[in-house]
Amino acid sequence: MASHPLPEPARQAAREIHRADIVLGIPSYNNARTIAHVVRAAQAGLGRYFPQYKSVIVNSDGGSQDGTREAVLSCRVEDAHLLLLASPLLPVHRLSFPYHGIPGKGSAFRLIFQIAQALEAKACAVVDSDLRSINPEWIDLLVRPTLHAGYDFVAPYYHRHKYDGTITNSIVYPLTRALYGLRVRQPIGGDFGVSARLLSRYLERQDWETDVARYGIDIWMSTIAVAEGFRVCQSFLGAKLHHAKDPGADLSAMLHQVVGSVFTLLEEYEPVWRTRTGSAPVDLFGFRYDVGLDPIPVNVERMLAAFRRGCEDLREVWALALQPATLAAVRDLGGPASRSPRAFRLEDELWTWIVFDLACAHRRRPLERGLLLRSLTPLYLGRVASFVLEVEDCFAEQVEERIERLCLCFEKLKPRLVAQWRGAEESRPARAGRPSSVAAQVGEITTLEVQP
Amino acid sequence: MIEALEKVLQEALARLSSLVMTYLPGALAALVIMLAALLLALLARWMLGRIFKGIGVDRFLRQSGIASVLTRSGQPRTSRVIAAAAYWAILVAGALTALSVFDTQLTTRMTDALVRVFPKLILAAVILVCGLWLAQLLGRSVLVWAFNENLPWPRRLSLAVRVIITLAAVATAADQLDFGRQVFLAAFILLVGGAALAGGLAVGLGSRDAVRRYLETKAPEDQPREERSLWDHL
Repeated sequence: MASHPLPEPARQAAREIHRADIVLGIPSYNNARTIAHVVRAAQAGLGRYFPQYKSVIVNSDGGSQDGTREAVLSCRVEDAHLLLLASPLLPVHRLSFPYHGIPGKGSAFRLIFQIAQALEAKACAVVDSDLRSINPEWIDLLVRPTLHAGYDFVAPYYHRHKYDGTITNSIVYPLTRALYGLRVRQPIGGDFGVSARLLSRYLERQDWETDVARYGIDIWMSTIAVAEGFRVCQSFLGAKLHHAKDPGADLSAMLHQVVGSVFTLLEEYEPVWRTRTGSAPVDLFGFRYDVGLDPIPVNVERMLAAFRRGCEDLREVWALALQPATLAAVRDLGGPASRSPRAFRLEDELWTWIVFDLACAHRRRPLERGLLLRSLTPLYLGRVASFVLEVEDCFAEQVEERIERLCLCFEKLKPRLVAQWRGAEESRPARAGRPSSVAAQVGEITTLEVQP
Repeated sequence: MIEALEKVLQEALARLSSLVMTYLPGALAALVIMLAALLLALLARWMLGRIFKGIGVDRFLRQSGIASVLTRSGQPRTSRVIAAAAYWAILVAGALTALSVFDTQLTTRMTDALVRVFPKLILAAVILVCGLWLAQLLGRSVLVWAFNENLPWPRRLSLAVRVIITLAAVATAADQLDFGRQVFLAAFILLVGGAALAGGLAVGLGSRDAVRRYLETKAPEDQPREERSLWDHL
């Protein structure tokens, strides 16, 4: 913290405002087209649901060139009478500052949290600046559990298209659920509510200059809350519709930052997750309803081509990270014998092995961590292609059941991770010992006992 | 006749005994030195093996990622390698000391040459190891980068990087040893020059179609939505 103090303009603004009950943060970078709607929804939500509280909206900007900050400071809530505002209504302050340090979402969050702490806020919430589906009720759902019900962390719960959120569905949710034993459905949702207590905990940590400064921030926040025993709940926010991400962004880098954060935290919280088995549901607030969702077109052939190319080109790198049996199964899948695209399946067990092997390799460091994580991209694309092919004719409930099956597989095979984690070298089977089938190995592995 | 034969034999025996008397103490001393060196080498190998294992050098190399670029398997055997290096270094030093006992022109020249070349050998070995390390590291980085950037032939690119860096290391090491300096240098220049020419031609010829396609197609904003779908996944 001391190495990264609050910038002087922000400190000055905090001194002028003196104190606030609620701080609502909006990180941004070139979001002039969408941010005004988010600010208006936030202001309306604070006015409608928390009129008696002193609130501040903080925009933490990454140096936008398109007038994002001006849009934040100049937008107005039209037709205020339609919002049925209570009176007396305390004004909602609006601040906008550029953040400093590593460019990324995490650095933006850090500035928001620092301002919230300087204002001694009782509750803080953050929402993305590219949201199209946000409405004033979101603010109530994200803030009220911390302000009135004693929760420390409010995770979002959205309806998303079946092809949306694939990093969440295929890696982050099943892995964090199996590890920490709580079913937080959207651990990297991007919209959160945080209590003052948890906020202080975030700010006292020293790992802000890692992947946490970028896309790793969401999973970092969720994991700390869950692993350190803070009170966690979820709020149903309806649909998540947001503006298309920057097409210049790099999928590999994004995946690398999120998964890298998960794996790094795995080491820190080993004493927590080693002993946990199964998973428990998390309190869910809000009225659940079905919503229409934007369709997401996907190109399965291209994903499969990337996976098969990976099987040919990245064998050398994977051989350092994956167990021989896992590698053999992956190679079989990418080989010429399985060229029928529609029949392609990367089964749950194999995917779970891959993720567990990579997590152990991340700890063991048989090769540089950045390389290890970047080499995950084709495997991830293979899994996504398999998932898309499997659920293309399914409805939302069936898709959710399918994801639940994957989560149960992660939970079932967790003893393997525990065993492999500590005795990584000892448990490494000989190269010649290739199993006859994947299922045969699952049977063997699940008989391992959890180490105390 | 017999007297003459006896005289010759006596003279031969005298010369032999003189030779034995001259060289035997030296040979015995050399033998003792060699035995001592062997014992010392065995002791050093055993102790170094234990010490490096004890302080976890292999673990450090593995965890710092250095092992993965030094070995293909990522499972280093540094303790064993260092212990073996110490063993052979002591044996060679013992042999040199043993040879110097005889104090002949030949042994002195051999000892001098080895002592002069030893630092160069060490330096050349360090250059070679660093070169191999760099070749592995950059080779793997190029492999993964080229793959994720969707470049053609990532493995060949990676191999090319490895070969060029390894050859550069070999040329530098050979230069240190004054061994085939011109040959290695010429080979290196030819290889890098050839690679640059081939790369230039490939990019030049290959990009003709790419540039034409780019000009024929519209701006990136007009790309179909599915092109973006991969990014829109968090």
